[in-house]
This record gives sequence, structure tokens and C-alpha cells, in this order.
Amino acid sequence: MNGPRRFALHTRDGPSPPAAEPSNGAARSVLVHAARSGDVRAFAGLVDAYYARCLRFAMHMLASRRDAEEAVQDTFVRVYKALPKYEEREAFEPWLFRILANRCRSAGSRERRHAEVVEYGEVPERPTPPGHDDAVAWREEIGLALASLPTDQREAFLMRHVEDLSYENMSAATGAGVSALKMRVKRACDALRIRLKEVDRE
Amino acid sequence: MSEAHDPAIERIAELLRPLPQVRPEAVAGLLVAVAAERERGREDSRSAVSPRMRRWIIRGVGAALAAGLAGVVLLRDASPRIPSAIGERGGATIARRVSLVAGGGATAVAGAPQEVQLLLRAPSASRVQVAGDFNGWNPHEAPMSRDSASGLWSARLTLRPGRHVYAFVVDDTLWVPDPRAPAARDADFGRPGSVMLVGRP
Repeated sequence: MNGPRRFALHTRDGPSPPAAEPSNGAARSVLVHAARSGDVRAFAGLVDAYYARCLRFAMHMLASRRDAEEAVQDTFVRVYKALPKYEEREAFEPWLFRILANRCRSAGSRERRHAEVVEYGEVPERPTPPGHDDAVAWREEIGLALASLPTDQREAFLMRHVEDLSYENMSAATGAGVSALKMRVKRACDALRIRLKEVDRE
Repeated sequence: MSEAHDPAIERIAELLRPLPQVRPEAVAGLLVAVAAERERGREDSRSAVSPRMRRWIIRGVGAALAAGLAGVVLLRDASPRIPSAIGERGGATIARRVSLVAGGGATAVAGAPQEVQLLLRAPSASRVQVAGDFNGWNPHEAPMSRDSASGLWSARLTLRPGRHVYAFVVDDTLWVPDPRAPAARDADFGRPGSVMLVGRP
């Protein structure tokens, strides 16, 4: 009902910034190690390195940029608090995504409870923006299809196909087994494929 | 369950992969929240007794008093300490630093808690706020007002005695130290910070 308004894709924010992703594992390890030792500049470096990726994931998991930014902020605060307990033999990225995914899940639950309340009211249609065309409509359809996936499937699809995590790292990030994750990704792909065909036919 | 290359899925993934634009103020807010968390951690570690232990001691003392036992010493130890440098440094050092601050960006006023006035000359700014450990590093809680003739921004804050670290936030994005106060050696996350000491030991 309120999908088109609440689950727009966020790629219309403009061109992507230059790759903010850390370029090599060694540099990341140095940052993590220094941050663990209390180097606040290193922690800020980790934020710089991972913020955009975390925001991308959170924006696809949650309904709004504001919610996503809140989730990312809470994630980094939790990361900061948990760093002393972090074992460096564990890969940092899945550890970070585990905290982020947990935060998105809990935010998503609150959001759904809120949606149950507001859905019964009048939900204004989003006005059609200038330049609204088929490509934009297609992107919105995919955004809706993604948003309609069960949370665990959406999360697994994004981790695998957007964040490019290995299944082993996804397992570390979610606590689910590799087989279960492969099944979630497959189901998500099946649902998205069907939706894509429907959109292409329309 | 192999993952053969699927052009349809790749098309969807490509659409989802562009990184969103990052709002600098959101990152600034994040670092402020982390800085506040660090300050909370320091306060806990400065305290002779952790908050949890303090609760247990208070409960224990309550039980002891109920049983007719005296617990004066424990009660004194269990009371919260002001998380400041005052209890950790010599009086002469504190007095010198107070005068340094009083002659600069912050003015200590008699009384406790005490009122301080912060000043910043920024004629072209449209908004200036103060963020510090005293307001959880939330600049929205301490807006400054502008004197249009002089371009001087000012804010009066009532602070508890002790050492405070703070910075000015100009136009929501630019963090600047107080040019007339000592720099904080522990400025957070590469951001500038200043130190003021309020009150006397």
C-alpha cells in the first residue's frame, strides 16, 4: 500500500562517489589494529572506509535514508564499544556486517510495527518527479520487489550480490549455515527474476 | 546449488551497487556519537567504583544499615565522583589553567554549577553551535546567538565544575576549536577540541 512511497531505490541520489571501499586488506588490517589500540584517527579511517558501503546496505534494508543513517551510526558506536573484544583473527568485514545486519533487523521490526499503524490512514501517493520515465519506473519496481522479499532473503541477496561477500563471510555475518544462505539467495533470485519478467512484459 | 551467471540477476545487482552519496554532517554526527561513547567510558573508568559495582555497594550498604551496621566509609566511596581533572591534578595547575581559560574563550562565574560564556568571532557564519562533553556532543543543544554589529557569536552555558572538552560547530559542518582556549590533546577522531576548566578545586 505504502510501498512506492516507502521503498524507493536510493540510487537516484546522484553519481556514486569515488570508490570509498578499502582497496587492500593489509591497509584495513592496519587500521583495525590501530583502532583496537585506541587510535581514534584510525577509527575515523575505518568509518571513512566503510561508511558508504554500510549506508548502501542499510538503505536497501530499511525504508528511508534517515533510518539507514541512524542504523549505520549505531553500528559504528557498537563497533567502537566492541572493538576491545574483537578477535583480529576474525575477518573485520563480516564482523562489521553482523553488527549492521542486526541493527537493520531490529530497526526493520520497529518499522513494520509502525507501518501496521499508519497503513490504515490515507497514504498520499508520491508525486511523479520530473523526468519520470520507464527506466526510473523499472528501478522502482525492482526496489519494490527487493523490499517485498522476506528480510533474511533480502539480507542474503544484498550480501552476496551487492556487497560481494563470500558465503563463508556471510555465514560469519549472519550466523546461518552456508547451505541455508545459498537457499535464501536462490529464493530471492527466483522472486526477483519473476518480478523482472513481469515488469518487462508490462 | 551452483550460482551460474544470470544476466537478469546481474542487471538487478548492478542497479543496487552504486554507493549512495554520503552526507558529511551524518558522518560528523556519527563521530560525535562515538566520541560521546568514549567519554562515557572514560567517566566509568575514572570512577573509583563502576556504576554496576556502585549499585551493588549501595544495595549492600542498605542491607547492612538495615541490619544495624554502620557503612559510612563505603557510602563515601560509593558516591559518584565528578569526572574531571580536578581530583586528579594539583591545585596550582588547575588554578593556572582556569585563569588561562578565563582570559580566553570561556569565563568562569562564581557559583556551582557555574555559568560560562563562550565566544567566537565568525561574521560570515549563518549558524554556530557548541558541542562538548557537557551536552553529549550534540550541538543542537547549545546554539549560539550572533551580535550582528560585531559578528561575535556567544552562548552562556551552566556547567558543573571540572574539565570540559568542546568545539564550535559552524554552519552544521565545520568543527573549529576555541581559538582562545587550550587545545585538547585528546581531540576526538581528528576533530579539533578545546579545554576549559570550570571552578576551583
